[in-house]
Amino acid sequence: MTSLSNPFTRRRFLTGAAGTAALLALPGCGEQTQTPTGSQGGGGDPWKQFSGTSINMISENTPPTAAIAANPGPFEQLTGIKLNIQQMELDKVVEKVKLDFSSGTAQNHVIYADPYQILAPLADGLADLKPLIENKDYPPVEKGIEDFIPTQMDALGKYLDADKIYALPYDAPTMILHYRKDLFEKYADKMQSDLGFDPMPSEAMTWDQYYSIAEWFNKNAKSDVKYGTGHQAKQHDSLQADFSNVLWAYGGDYFEKGQELGGISSEDPGAVTVGSDPGVQAATFYKKLIKIAHPSSTTWDWTGLADAFLAGQIAMCPNWHEFAAGEEKQFPGKIGYALLPKGPARRAHNFGGTGIGINGNAKDAELGAAWLFVNWATSPETQLMTLGSKVGGGTPTRNSVYELPEVQAEIDKSPSKYPNIRTAPTVLKAWEKENIGLRPKVPQWVQLNTIIFTELSKMLTQDGDPAATMASMQDQMQKAMQ
Amino acid sequence: MLGRLKPWQRVLFLVLGILIGLWSAIPIAWMLITSLKPQEAIRTSDLVFSFTPTLENYRNLFFGGNRAGSFLVNSLLVSIISTFIALALGSLAGYGMAHWRSRHKKDVSFWILSTRMAPIAAVIVPLFVMFRIAGLVNTIPGLILACLTFNLPFAIWLMNAFFHQVPRSIEEAALVDGCSKMRAFWNVALPVTRPGLITTAVLCLVFAWNDYAFASSLGGPQTSTLPMAAGALVTQSGIDWGLLCALGIVIALPMLIAGLAVRRHLVTGLSLGAVTGE
Amino acid sequence: MSSAVATQETVAPAVEEQDKPPKEPRGFNTFEFALMAPTLALLALLSLVPFFTLIAMSFSDVRTLGRIRLEFTGLENWVDVFTNPAFWASWGRSLIYFTSIIVLEMVLGFAFAVVLNNLIRGRSLLLSVVLLPMFLAPVMVGLLARFLLDSTIGLYAKMLAGVGFDTDVFANPSTAMPAVILIDVWEWTPLVALIMLAGLTSVPPSTLEAAAVDGAGFFRSLFNIVIPQMKAVILVALLVRSMDAIRYFDVITATTNGGPADATKIIPIRLYEMAFRFNNQIGQAAVVGLTMLVFSIALANVFLRFFGDREVARAHVAGGDH
Repeated sequence: MTSLSNPFTRRRFLTGAAGTAALLALPGCGEQTQTPTGSQGGGGDPWKQFSGTSINMISENTPPTAAIAANPGPFEQLTGIKLNIQQMELDKVVEKVKLDFSSGTAQNHVIYADPYQILAPLADGLADLKPLIENKDYPPVEKGIEDFIPTQMDALGKYLDADKIYALPYDAPTMILHYRKDLFEKYADKMQSDLGFDPMPSEAMTWDQYYSIAEWFNKNAKSDVKYGTGHQAKQHDSLQADFSNVLWAYGGDYFEKGQELGGISSEDPGAVTVGSDPGVQAATFYKKLIKIAHPSSTTWDWTGLADAFLAGQIAMCPNWHEFAAGEEKQFPGKIGYALLPKGPARRAHNFGGTGIGINGNAKDAELGAAWLFVNWATSPETQLMTLGSKVGGGTPTRNSVYELPEVQAEIDKSPSKYPNIRTAPTVLKAWEKENIGLRPKVPQWVQLNTIIFTELSKMLTQDGDPAATMASMQDQMQKAMQ
Repeated sequence: MLGRLKPWQRVLFLVLGILIGLWSAIPIAWMLITSLKPQEAIRTSDLVFSFTPTLENYRNLFFGGNRAGSFLVNSLLVSIISTFIALALGSLAGYGMAHWRSRHKKDVSFWILSTRMAPIAAVIVPLFVMFRIAGLVNTIPGLILACLTFNLPFAIWLMNAFFHQVPRSIEEAALVDGCSKMRAFWNVALPVTRPGLITTAVLCLVFAWNDYAFASSLGGPQTSTLPMAAGALVTQSGIDWGLLCALGIVIALPMLIAGLAVRRHLVTGLSLGAVTGE
Repeated sequence: MSSAVATQETVAPAVEEQDKPPKEPRGFNTFEFALMAPTLALLALLSLVPFFTLIAMSFSDVRTLGRIRLEFTGLENWVDVFTNPAFWASWGRSLIYFTSIIVLEMVLGFAFAVVLNNLIRGRSLLLSVVLLPMFLAPVMVGLLARFLLDSTIGLYAKMLAGVGFDTDVFANPSTAMPAVILIDVWEWTPLVALIMLAGLTSVPPSTLEAAAVDGAGFFRSLFNIVIPQMKAVILVALLVRSMDAIRYFDVITATTNGGPADATKIIPIRLYEMAFRFNNQIGQAAVVGLTMLVFSIALANVFLRFFGDREVARAHVAGGDH
C-alpha cells in the first residue's frame, strides 16, 4: 500500500481504521457488559430502547466527527438507531443551526455546540442535559460527568446557569508550542552562546526569548529552515486565537471580568478592557513578532501554518495541538511540544474545544436517541477509538482515558499508535486553571471577534499603530456590546 | 469573418488563441493532474510533475466515509428536473409574453427579471420558514423548487427573447391555414427556437448544478449536493487538496460533457438576430 | 379560460398585411396570458413572499429562537445601517469590484469572441477549452484559486515567485482585491464570450463585405459597424452578468473571507455576516439586502434604457405591435 505520509487524509484511512477501531473498542467488549442493566423492567437493554429511530447530527469537520462518520457501525449495532451525520464549515453549521432553531421543530438533533457561536447566543435553543444524565431510564454516563476535565466542562457545557448542562465536552484543540526538536538540538549550543540563555523550549521561556530565538533562526539557519517562527495571522478567527495568547500573557483581557467569562460566564461582562496598557503592550510585541515571522503568516489560518510547518519552512510555531498527528508522520520523533512562552503576567493557551448538545426542540424518541448518541460519543471507549483513528484523530476530554495504561505507554513512543497523545503532558498542563486561555462567552462574540481580527489585520498589513489599533478595537467592541 | 485577413493578422489571432486557451485551461489541467497524484506528490514545497498516477483520491471521494456518490445523484436529480421544469414553464410563459399585447408588458417583463436579483443571504431566512412550513426542507422537491427561484425567471426571459425572433410571417401563415394558437406554438414556433431551447437548458443546468447557497441552507443530510461536498472537505485541520481536486473534476465533468455535446447549438442559439432584453 | 381561447380561434385568422392591429382583446384576458399565468403565479409565490418579508424585517427587530418573531421598530435598523461607516466602505468596495468585473469581462469576452470568430483552424477546440471555467461551481473555483496561489504548494504562487513577485497574493490588501477580481473574471468571461460570439456570428456578411469594399480596415469595421449591430447581445451579456456580479461571494469566502484588513469585504459578505454570524441583526441584514436590490434594479434600468430601447422601437415598427 502507498505510504501513509499525509496526515490529513483521514478519510482514506478510516475505512481501514474501521476494522482497527472495532478491535480497539473490543477491550470493554461493548457497552452491554459494563452498563448496569437493571434500569428497565424485564431486563430490557437501556441502549436499545429507541431502536429504529433516526437522528441527524450536524457538525464541523472535526476529528471525532470524522472518525464516527466513517465508522457508525458500533453505535448502530449497540442501539439500533440510524445516525445521519452532516459535516460542513463552521459558518454553515451556525447558519443551519440558527435556521433550524427558528423553525420550532428539530431537523438536526445532535448539535456541535461551538461555545461562542452556538452555546452563548443560542443556549435557550439547546436542551438541558442534566435531567437526561440523572434519568435512571437511560444508561448512565460512564464514570460520571466528573470524569470530564473540569475547566472544559465549565467552558463547553455551561452557560450562565451552574445547574444546567447544555453540552458534553467533545473535542479539545488547544494552542501549544510546536518546535523542530532536531533543529533546536542541532543549533542549541550556538544559540546558547549567542543569546545567553538555554533556547530549548521549557517552562522558563518568555515571549521575549521566543522573539530572540526566531530572529536567530532567521539569520543563522537559512540552510535548514527559512524562518524561525510562523503564525496564523490571516484576517480570520485564527489571528484572534494567536494574538489572544500574547494578550493574556501580558495580563490583558477582552473584558473586565476576564477569564471568568470563559467558564460559566455572566450576563454582564463588564467594560471592554482590551485597549488598556497590557493590551497595547501585547499588540506592540505581537506586531514586532509578526514582522520577523514568515511573511506568509498574514495569509495563513491554522491549516496554512500547519502546512508550512510540515513543509519545513519554519522552526517553531504556536498552533493547535491536534496537528501533532500530521507532524509525527512527516517528522517522526523530531517534533517537540511545549507550553507557550510566558509574558509578564502569565502564560496562556487558547482553548478551542467544543461540546455536543441536543436540539431543544427534539422530543420523545428523538430526544432519547439523541441523548444516547451524545452519551456514547463522549464515552471513554469512543474517545479511545477516536484517539486511535489511524490519522491521529481527536484527543480525549476525559481524565480516565489519559490514565489508561495503553494510552500512557504511547506518549513517549515515536511512531506512536496515538500520535496526538504525544502532546498529552503538555496539554494536560495547559488545561490547568492558571494556564488555560478562555475567550469570553458572550452572545456578541462573533461580532467582537470580527472586530478584533479585522483591526489586528489592519495593524499588521498596513503598518498600523498598536495603541491606535487597540483603542479603535475597544471603541468598536464597546459599541457592539450596547 | 471580418473580410479577408492579412497573414500577420492570422498569426496574431493564432497566438492570441493559444494564450487564451492556456489562460482557461491551465488551472483545470492542474486540477486534473493533482487529482491523480498521491498525497506525497501534493504536499511538498516543490512542484512535482512526474509521479505515478493513482485513483485513490477518487476512491476516497466515493467510498472512504464521504458519500460523494449520493451527492452526485442528488445533484443530477435536482439539476435535471429543475431545468426541465424551468424550460417547460419558461417556454410557455416566454411565448405568451412574446405575443402578449398589453400596456403592462414592460412592467411584468421587468418584474420577472428583477426576481432574479434577490440578495441571497437576505431571502434565505423567509424562504427557509416558508419551506419548513410546507415541509420542503431536506427534500428533493424542495431543492428543485429552490433552483426554480433563479432558473424560472431566467428561462422566461431568455425564451421570451428567442420567441421574439420567430418571424411573425411563419406563425401568421400557420394561423391562416387554420392552426389553433396552441398548435402554432407547438408545431411552428417551438421547433424554430430549438437552438434557443438548448441554450436555455444548458445555462439553467449550469446555474442549478453550481448552486451552493440555496442547497446548503434548504437541503439537509439526505439531500446534499456536490458543491456542499466541497464545503465538507474544508476540515478543521486542513484541506485535502487531492480530494478537493478530484471533487472538482467530478463536479465539472457532467457539465462539460453536456455543454460540449451541444456547443454548436449553444452558439447558434444565441445568434438569432437581435436578441432584445424585453 | 377555455371560452377565451375559443373566442380567439374564431377571431384570429384573416390577418391583413397592413399594420392595422387585429381586433384581439388586450391585457389579461388572452390566450397568451393564460400561458403565462401558472408560471407567473409560481414565481410570485417564490419571490413576493420573501420580498415582503424582507421589507417587514427591515422595519423590525427579528428574533428567531423558537420561531420567527418580528417586533416593529420603525426606522431604527435603517438608521443603524446607514450611519455605519463600515456599510458605506463595503459598498464602495463592492462598486469597485463590480465595475472591474463587468468591464473586464465584457472587454475580454468580446476579445475572446473576436479571436474565436477569426480563427480558421482550431476554433472548435479553442471554444471547448474556453468554456471550461464556467462549468465549475464558484465555491470550487475559489478553493482551486486558493490551491494555485497557496504560498507553500501553489503552482501560480511558484510561477509568480519565479518572476520576482514574492509576496503572497492574498496577504496584501493591495493585491487581494485584484486577485479575487481576476478569479471571477477567469470563471465568467467564458459566458460573456459565448454570448458575444453568438452576436458576432450573426452580423450579416453582406454588411462586412460592403465595408471591406469601401476600404474599412479590420478595427474600423469592428468598432463602427459590428458593435452597433450587437447592441442587443451586449445587453443580454450585461444583464446576465451584472445580476450575479453584485450577489455572488463564494469565491471571496473561499479565499480571503473579506480580508486582509477588510480589503475584499464586499456588500454580500457583510450581508451574510449580519444575517447569520452576528446576533440579532437580521433586521439590519434585511436593510442591506434591500439596498442591493435597489441597486440591481436601478442598474438594470440604466442598461435597458441605454442598450435596449432602440431595438424595441425598431421591432415595433417592423413587425407590428409585438
